[in-house]
Order: sequence, then C-alpha cells, then structure tokens
Amino acid sequence: MTRTTRKLLLPGTLIGLILAVIVLAPVLPLHDVRAMDVPNRFAGPSAAHWLGQDEFGRDVLARLIWGGRASLFIAVGSALSAAVLGTLLGLLGGYFRGVVEALTVRASEVILCLPPLLLALLVVTILGAGTGPLMVALTLLYTPNYARVVYAATLQVRALDFVTAQMAMGAHPLAILWRTILPNVMPPLLVQMSLVVASAMMIESGLSFLGLGVVPPTPSWGLMIRAARGAMEVSPLLLLWPSLALAGTILIFNLLCDRLQAVLDPRNVTAGGALWLRKGPRRAALPAVPAATDGPLLAITDMAISVNTSERSLELVRRADVSVHSGETVALVGESGSGKTLTSLALMGLLPDQLGISRGQALFRGRDGRVTDLAQLDEDGFRRFRGAEISMVFQDAAAALNPVHRIGDQLAEALRDTGDAQEISRRVVDLLRHVGIPDPERRQRAYPHELSGGQRQRAMIALAVANAPRLLIADEPTTALDPTIQAQILHLFQKLKSDTPDMGLIFVTHDLAVVAEIADRVVVMYAGEVVESGPVAQVFARPRHPYTAALIASVPEGAADRLVAIPGTVPPPNAMPPGCRFAPRCAHALPACSAAPPGAERPDPARITRCIRWKEVT
Amino acid sequence: MLDMPSTDTPLVQARGLGRNFPQRQGLLGRARDVWAVRDVSLSIARGETVGVVGESGCGKSTLGRMMLGLDTPTRGQMLFEGRDLASLAGAEKRRLSRRMQMVFQDPFGSLDPRRTIGAQIGDGLRIHQIVPRHDIRAEVARLLDQVGLPSAAAERRPHEFSGGQRQRIAVARALSTRPDYIVADEPVSALDVSIQAQVVNLLMDLRRDLDLAMLFISHDLHVVRHLCTRIVVMYLGRIVEEGPADKVFGAPAHPYTRALLSATPSLHPRDKDSLHGVLPGELPSPANPPSGCPFRTRCPVAEPQCAAAVPDFRTLAPGWKAACIKAGA
Amino acid sequence: MLRYIAYRSLVALFLVWLVVSLVFLLLHLIPGDPAELLLSQGSLAADPAAVAALRERMGLNDPLWRQYLDHLGGVLTGDLGTSFRDGAPVAEQIALRLPRTLEVIGAATLLAALLGVPLGTYAAVRAGGKADGLLSLLSSIALSTPVFVVGSVAILIFAQKLQWLPAGGFVSFSEDPVQHLKLLILPASAVAISLWAVITRMTRATVIEVLERDYVRTARAKGLSRAPILRRHVVRNAMIPVLTITGLEMGTLIGGTVLVEFVFNWPGLSGYLVSAVDARDYPEVVGIVIVISMLFVFLNLAVDVVNALLDPRISLVKS
Ligand SMILES: Nc1ncnc2c1ncn2[C@@H]1O[C@H](COP(=O)(O)OP(=O)(O)OP(=O)(O)O)[C@@H](O)[C@H]1O
Ligand code: SF4
Ligand code: SF4
Ligand SMILES: [Mg+2]
Repeated sequence: MTRTTRKLLLPGTLIGLILAVIVLAPVLPLHDVRAMDVPNRFAGPSAAHWLGQDEFGRDVLARLIWGGRASLFIAVGSALSAAVLGTLLGLLGGYFRGVVEALTVRASEVILCLPPLLLALLVVTILGAGTGPLMVALTLLYTPNYARVVYAATLQVRALDFVTAQMAMGAHPLAILWRTILPNVMPPLLVQMSLVVASAMMIESGLSFLGLGVVPPTPSWGLMIRAARGAMEVSPLLLLWPSLALAGTILIFNLLCDRLQAVLDPRNVTAGGALWLRKGPRRAALPAVPAATDGPLLAITDMAISVNTSERSLELVRRADVSVHSGETVALVGESGSGKTLTSLALMGLLPDQLGISRGQALFRGRDGRVTDLAQLDEDGFRRFRGAEISMVFQDAAAALNPVHRIGDQLAEALRDTGDAQEISRRVVDLLRHVGIPDPERRQRAYPHELSGGQRQRAMIALAVANAPRLLIADEPTTALDPTIQAQILHLFQKLKSDTPDMGLIFVTHDLAVVAEIADRVVVMYAGEVVESGPVAQVFARPRHPYTAALIASVPEGAADRLVAIPGTVPPPNAMPPGCRFAPRCAHALPACSAAPPGAERPDPARITRCIRWKEVT
Repeated sequence: MLDMPSTDTPLVQARGLGRNFPQRQGLLGRARDVWAVRDVSLSIARGETVGVVGESGCGKSTLGRMMLGLDTPTRGQMLFEGRDLASLAGAEKRRLSRRMQMVFQDPFGSLDPRRTIGAQIGDGLRIHQIVPRHDIRAEVARLLDQVGLPSAAAERRPHEFSGGQRQRIAVARALSTRPDYIVADEPVSALDVSIQAQVVNLLMDLRRDLDLAMLFISHDLHVVRHLCTRIVVMYLGRIVEEGPADKVFGAPAHPYTRALLSATPSLHPRDKDSLHGVLPGELPSPANPPSGCPFRTRCPVAEPQCAAAVPDFRTLAPGWKAACIKAGA
Repeated sequence: MLRYIAYRSLVALFLVWLVVSLVFLLLHLIPGDPAELLLSQGSLAADPAAVAALRERMGLNDPLWRQYLDHLGGVLTGDLGTSFRDGAPVAEQIALRLPRTLEVIGAATLLAALLGVPLGTYAAVRAGGKADGLLSLLSSIALSTPVFVVGSVAILIFAQKLQWLPAGGFVSFSEDPVQHLKLLILPASAVAISLWAVITRMTRATVIEVLERDYVRTARAKGLSRAPILRRHVVRNAMIPVLTITGLEMGTLIGGTVLVEFVFNWPGLSGYLVSAVDARDYPEVVGIVIVISMLFVFLNLAVDVVNALLDPRISLVKS
C-alpha cells in the first residue's frame, strides 16, 4: 500500500491542484477573461497581471485558467462517457461472445478504421464546431479503445477458474459480471482512462488551434496558441504560457498513466536491465586451485546463493554440497522452491542478475584436467565453459527455444569449431537424428512451434549435447510431458549416457519415482538446503533424514489406505526458522533442533544427512 | 423419461457424449471438425469415485466440463437424476447447480484474488439460501474446519495461502452448497507430493463421510489408483477401457492402458531395461484421427484389421470393458 | 502465407467498403439538408432557388439507394466528384497533394526509427540507470507536447531567432531540391518527435521483456557472446511489436498531419481537408476521408503481413 501511495502521490497531487484551480475559477479573484485593455496590449508580467496581457490587453492568467477549464471539461467528460459506453460494450462482448460480441466490440471497432483526427474532423464537419460536437466526436473516438481493452481483459478473466467456479455455483451472469469480472478489469480500465484524458486534450487543443473546436470568445489553450502565433515575434511569452500549460497537463496525465501501470503490474518495475550485457571490470587472474590428479568432475562444497537488494541480503540456497563423478548421474530432488533450479543455474553462471554465489566453492575439472572454481567466474569466464564443457537442458523447452528461428539454425549456432556450411548442416542433421527426431533433414527447417512437446524437448537436448559436454545439467526435463513421452525422454537420457560414458549428469526433478528410474546418487534438498545425499538404492531403502522418509511415504504408491502427509508448508525464504529448517513440520523435532543448523553427519562414507537425531529416528 | 428419480437410475449419467470444436480455416475455408470427446457413455452412482486418466489433449477436461453442464455436448445427453441438463432453462439450471460442484486444477486461478475467502465460500450459501443470512459466518467457519483450516482464514485473501491451502479452500467452496456430485479436474496436479497427500486424504475422507459421487480427472495413475473405485482410460477423445480400479491396474486389458502403466515411473523400478518397451510416437491430432482404432498408430500389437472400424467394447467381467479387438482374447 | 495475405486483403477490402458506406450514411442520414446546410452561411437563410439547384447538382433528388450505388460506383472508378468550391475534380487534387503528405510522414518515420530503436535498446540494457532516466523523461515530454506546440516553438527558435531554416512553405523537389529539403526539415522533425518517443518507449519495453525470456538464457547457455545474442535473439525478437506500433502510428499520422501542414504551410492532403471542412465542401471531404481511410486500412494490412513474415507463429494461427 505504501509503495502505491508513494508512486501515485506526485501525479495525484498535481492533478488535484489543477482540478482545484479550475473548479474554483469562478470564485478566485481573477480578471474578467473578456475585459480588453487595448492600450496595454502585449504588456509583460506585472503585479496586476502576473503573466502579462495578450493582444487585446486581456489578462493571460485568467484566460489560462478558464481555458484549462474548457479543455479539461471536454477531455474528462468525453473520457468518462466513452469509458462507460466502452466498458459496457466490452464486458457484454467479452462475456457472452458470439453474436453479442459482433454487435458490441466488433461494431464499435469500425470506428478504428478511420484515423482519429480524421474522425473528429468528420464529426465537426457534420455537426459544426463547438463544445458539444467536440465531446460527441471524442466520445465516439475513444469508445472502441475502452471496448477493446475491457473486452480483452474480460476474456482473460473469464477464462480463469474462479469465474467458471461462479458459473458452476449457479450465480446469475449479471452478478458475475458485476461482482467478479468488473473489479478484475478495473486496473487496465484505469490506465486506459488516464491515457484517454491526455489524448483527448491533445485532439481538443489541436482542433481548437485549427479553429474547428472551442468557439471564441470562450478561452481555450488551443485558441490562445493560435492567437499567439501571430504575435510570436513581439511577445514570445504569449506562446509560452499556454504551450506550457497544455504540455504540462498532458504530461501529468501521462505520468499518472505510467505510474498506475507500474503500480498495477509490479512485474514491470522490477526489471533492472541486464547486467550480463555490460562488460564488467576485468577480474584479476583466478587463484590456481591445487589439483589432485583424479577426483570428481564437480565438487560443490558449502555453496550459498543470495539475493542482494539494497535493503537486505538473503540466502536462498545454503550449505549446498554436491559432487558428481564423470559417468555418474546425480538426481537433485526436492519440492518446489527448494533451490534446485538456482543451484543448477549457478553452475552455468546464469543466475538472475540480483542473485549471486555468496559463499563456498564449485570446483570443476575441465577437459584439459585443470580445475576451476566456478564460484569465482564472471560472465566472460563462464562463456568458455558454457556449451563446450557444461551445458543445460531447461525445463520449458517451448519457452527456451527462440520462436522466430528455425530449429536447425539454433542448433548450428551452438556448434563450436565449425567447418563450412555443408559440414555444419551435416552435423545438425546428425545431432537431430541422434536425439531421435524423425526425418531430421526436413525437421531442421521447422520452427519450434511446429514441433510437438516431446520433439521440442529432444531438440533442446540436441542443443545441450551438441559439443559433447563433460557435465550435462537437466532441469526437470520431463515434468511438463505426458507419461508415455516422459518415458521416451528418460529412455533418450539413458541412451546418451551409454553413448558418452564419461559425461556426468545432474538430473533435477521433484518426482522421486523418476529418481529411482534414472539416477545413481540422489541429493535431497529442502528449503534451500541439502538435507541428505547418497546412493539411490540405499537412500530409498533406508532414508536417514526425517524429511526424506516423509517424502517417500507421501508418494501414493503403497497399499496404505491413508497417505502420509507432511503437515504445514515449506517456509518462505524470508521467514526461515532458525536451526533445522524442517523443524516446524518434523514429527521428531526437539527444542535442540531449533538451536543451531544441524551439521553434516555421515552415517556411511557415501552418505550425508543433516539431522541431529538421525541415529534415533531413522 | 422418468420425472422422479428412481432408486436404480445412477445419479449422473452421460449417454454418447460428443463435443466438436469446429475449426474454421480462414474466412472462406470450410470448417473442419475437431472432436475433443467422442461417444462417451459413463455413469456415476452415489458414494462412487470414478477416475478419468489419459494424456493431455485426450479430452479429459472437456468431458469434465460437459459432465457438469458447463459445456453443452454436441452429441448425446448428460443426465442428472434422469434430467437432461441441456433441456433446462437458465434459472432452473442455476438452481440445479447447487447439487453439482467443481474443483479446479490451478490453485492460483481458482480463487478470486480480490475477495476474501469467507466471501467466496459464502457465495454459494447466499445464492442458494443454504442457511439463514445470519448463520453464514458460522457455516463458513464449519466448512473451513471441515477442510482443516482455522476459521480466521475467512477474513483473509487468497494470496496469503499456499497452493495446498488454496486447494482445500476450493474444496470448501465446492462443499458449501452441500452437493451430491463433484467434478475434480486435476485437483492435485499442481501440488508438491507432500501437499498433494494432504488434499488426497481430504478427498478420501469426504467421499466416506458425505456419500458423494465424484468424477476425478488426473494424469497421475498413482493418485487415481489410490482414490478411485472405478477407472476410465481415455485416448484421443474416446474411452478405451473402463472397469474397477484393481482390475484395470492389475490386469490391464487394453494395450494403451498397459503402455500407460509401464511408462509411469515407479519408486520400485522394474529392471532398468523396462524403458526399452516405451511406446513410440505421439498422440495424433484430434483434427485428423486415424481410421478405425484410434490407438492403432502406436499400438505394439496392431493388425491390419484394426484400421477397419472403431473396435466395439468387449466385456471382460461385469463392469469391466475394453475397446480392442484383442481384449480378453 | 499467400492464403493468409489473401484472407487479410479480403478483410481489408471489406473494411474499406464499410468506411465508404459509413461516410455515405453519415452524410445522408443526419437531419438537415446538406444543400441547405452548405448554402446557409452563419444565420442567413439560404436562397431556396439556389438550394434546389444544388440539390439537383448533388443528385440529392434521386432515391437513396440510387445515390448509394452512384457513390460506390464513383469510388470504384476513381471518380470522387468535383469540388463545390471551384469545380475541380477531387481525385486530381488528392493525387497532387497526397505524395507531399506521405513525404512528411516517411521522413518523420525514418528519423524517428533511426533514433528510437538504438536509444530504446540502450535504455533497456541500462534500465534503471541515469541514461534510462533521462531518456524516459525526454520521451515523456515529447509524447506530451502537441505537434502544433512543437511546430510553433520550432518556428520561433529556428526560423525567427536563429534564422537557420525557413519558417514554412513548399517548393517542389524538381524546382529546387535544396530548398525543398530545407523546407521539409522542420515539419518532418516536428512529426518525428512524438513518434520517436513512442518507438523509444516501445523498444525499451519489449527489449526488457525479451531479455527476461528463457530463449535468451538458452543463447547464453550455448556460450554465445554478447553481440550475437543481442542481435539475433534480443533485437530481432523485440522488433516485431515495435514494427507493429510504428506501422499503426504511421496510420494515424496519415490523417493526423493536419496540424503540421497548417503550422508550416505545407500544402499536403490534410491541409486540403481542413479547408474543405471549413468550407463544408462535401465532395472534397468525402473524397479525402475515403482515400485516407483506404490508406489507413491497407497500411494496417501491410503491418499484419510484415508481422507474419517476421513471426513464423502467425501464419499458422490464421491459415
Ligand atoms: N530472482 C529471484 N529473486 C528472489 N528470489 C528468488 C529468485 N529466483 C528464485 N528465488 C527464490 O529462491 C528459492 C529457490 O528457487 P528455485 O527456483 O531454485 O526452486 P526449485 O527447487 O527449482 O523449485 P521448482 O520445483 O518450483 O522449480 C525460491 O524460494 C524462490 O522463490
Ligand atoms: S534436526 Fe530435528 S527437526 Fe530437523 S529433521 Fe532432524 S529431528 Fe527433525
Ligand atoms: S484394436 Fe488393434 S490397434 Fe487398437 S488397441 Fe486393439 S490391437 Fe491395438
Ligand atoms: Mg525449478
């Protein structure tokens, strides 16, 4: 709420001030707008006439205020009447569709076939100049805008389940429109409203300027500018005042519109540019990491990932310990928000801009045997590894492929040390065939949307294995797929593993059954921490952490009549409990559990658990 | 047609339901038929939970909406206590909707973000005058309690709740009108396993306590098996197998059911080679379905004669049938 | 693709027909006799004999359907009637003036796009920075200042005070190319300013949105360096909505250069329209309105087609 008020304070106050002045115009001690004083024409500002006098010696300030009154009356009046009319048409058209839609929204859109100013001119031709015709013209002009906006919003809201729920509830359609849909289309309506006021002022002043709008002697800003043009050389100030008033007022309404948009759609505000696109200062050479001759492909120790905003720093992931040997498949499993994706993205240097690795090491052994700490790399440093040594399959293949480029071109782009065009094309086709896309010669010319979900995921995988990386990270590659397609993709991963026996694979999933199918070792994450890890068979047979045990028990696969549900929910990142993060939901929690974060215990050389009671309760 | 429900009419009965979404090709192009659901007959009795499984795009949700009267079938009839929903006038249908309710998939879209939980649960109470006006608060509290939420939740708005809590609120809203019949369209698909278990348990309790008829739509075979008494397997808009849960999952008769079962990962994996038997290809487009058996393009045991005609149902046991020429053979 | 274009052209033709009929209806169904309206300047009643003569000349005595068919037939054969004022064929006048208006619009769009796209992209990449703030302020001001204010102030500064450029007027290109271009600069710039603001803001907004798309992350994950990512995956995708908006804005400009032409004495089509409105010369007004709406409708069609060419997803949806 405070953010909203803060954002709207400036335009709100300014508009309030303007409105107050023009509403109070009749009672303010202003000069008569028509009182001429020809001897003092073009007089500059004085104590009696703060802004000077015009070509007939009339008081400029008074004319400015009364002119604003006329402009705003027309603009706000037509914006309101168009809003009422357009909202009605849009709501009805969007809710009932079919014939009603054709009669309301589509019919009003015919008006949009005429350029706006042209339409206004046409109406003025027919009805003559003046305030009334202007308002008719502007109302006519803006009704379809509202109708469109409201129609689109109604369609969107109508498709939401809560509206369907109201229908299923037996609520009357008009009640649904009034109580459920109207409040939800209000935000775009408000934005549209401030936009229309600004735009209507623009057109009104333009027509008045042409002498086709407000009729003299009623003062209006457009007319004042028109008159001042004739005397521009004598008295430039006369041009300046109405211009400033007009542009300023429109600016304020535009500002209101921008701010409203920002408040109603907070997503827009958080966009903070793209840091990775800017070249940072060159980092000093990385400290050499002592390398043992053989060791894991990847060893993450005690890694933490934090958000850094100006106000606070928050650890979203911490105490992440994961190691991957070449040829091994490690499953990263956990519920939504447990930090699986962040951990994977960190290894590619693809964390969102406001996030960063704040602690720990991620040692990666490259093809040449050198060991690099990924936690120390910057954008340029990561680029050497991406695709060539470490690569990633993203969860949503439909979003992860660029819709406007052909699959083959996107693949070709990923290839390193390429040859001529023919060689590239051959490699692309080979890759597509390798991941099981039928008819690859033809399919390479397809756009992503022309492929089915399963084939898109295959193309995504082809992209990731294009340069035979040493480490492949797959973030929920099968979650969005149907069971039979999921089985195909899992099968493809197994084939890739047997074709390239040296490749390490990190397989992120929330599905324990998938873990059982594909992984050698499993790492269980909860609320941003690794709570248990070990060989899959051992962990599933005898979990050594209460969370792992509860997770396995909640899978509806056993014969049990009731499932074991874990009470409560995962705490949000800004309200993590002290000590063991699972304590509020743990059936075995003791006061000691909340005293300090449990350390890593090793029930077995290959396993880790972070529970102080693992010996007693598992 | 009977006016009064007799004891042996099932509460809900679908007869040959079909739904076409014709797709027009350009302004002058001919409309092309796209049947999302074809020829589905299904009945549900009180106290029974029927599970509908199938892959995305096989027509599950369209069937669910038709079976609640939210969508009008292109063909066939949807009967509730013997009355055809399509023949009812607006007001009468709205009155009848008290007895039929729906729970949706998306826990974030199914509640109005702008209104309090209490107001949304109270809607049904007000519309159908379930309780006197001054008792609404107490009734809302009772409903919240029934789904395991504190009565203070009534004052709060949806964004203050987690996915599982929202789903339970949606269940409370559906229960508010004291329905006899509920359609639940993927109610747990968007939830984490630990939370999913909470909602599944709740639904099991309700079925037992309230004697509800329920149509439970899901793509998760494990959940369906756990919750449902009868299973309907759909492929490309048609029912391919229907029967008691233990039969359909224990000894699937239709090749598609078998493929679906073996494709579903399990905590206790069969030998790792099991994935070699995965079904090839993908779901054909409903705009251009294969002739004859809809499954024949992917069926491992298809024969030339499968293309001749849509196979009839073969009854394998009372209440258990499959649409395959090889079923039971 | 061809089917898509054919379909959209049919829709456009339908819209043009709709506009032509609408204009006809508007002029004939409103209460009052156009002939009388035309001849009654101010409060003076018109001379009945003159009115009758005019009615005959305008064909107002024919049945309505007959007038409508004549009207349609005229439009189809390119005959837009003759002006009341001087009896000149309206179509000829339009053919003379339309290119001048299009010239201003074309020059303005070019200017606005050349400045707007790079600046918008820069603002997006540096979103939240000082340059972004400055550009946002400038574009807000540009967007809020009506073109006749910009024009008048520009004349005051560049023509009267600094005397760098002529204040207004027109010389044809064949007569004196340099003077022609000099005269073009101020009107084109005045129109370009608000268009620049629109393009800059739109570019900024879409680039920011595209930067957050998954496929940009994929491009980074491939190991591509900044320039190709920006070129092939960010700007390429962001240009689709920017082009749409630019096209639509150009469309509104076709009928919206009235003010600029008035301010700079540029004898284009829109200025002709204003004087026709002023004189209530119906054939002129109708002719111009029809031509402009046709251009408007077909420009929108062109925008749709270009969009379909740039975005492979579109052609599939509709055809
Ligand atoms: N850009 C961000 N700014 C702030 N917090 C973030 C950001 N991205 C993610 N988070 C938070 O970090 C935590 C971990 O997120 P992450 O996406 O890694 O979870 P996940 O395990 O992949 O979940 P899912 O199963 O839903 O994909 C979540 O609480 C999330 O809200
Ligand atoms: S440390 Fe305590 S609260 Fe945490 S999992 Fe172990 S027993 Fe439960
Ligand atoms: S009818 Fe033929 S194609 Fe269809 S499922 Fe049976 S065997 Fe397979
Ligand atoms: Mg994730």
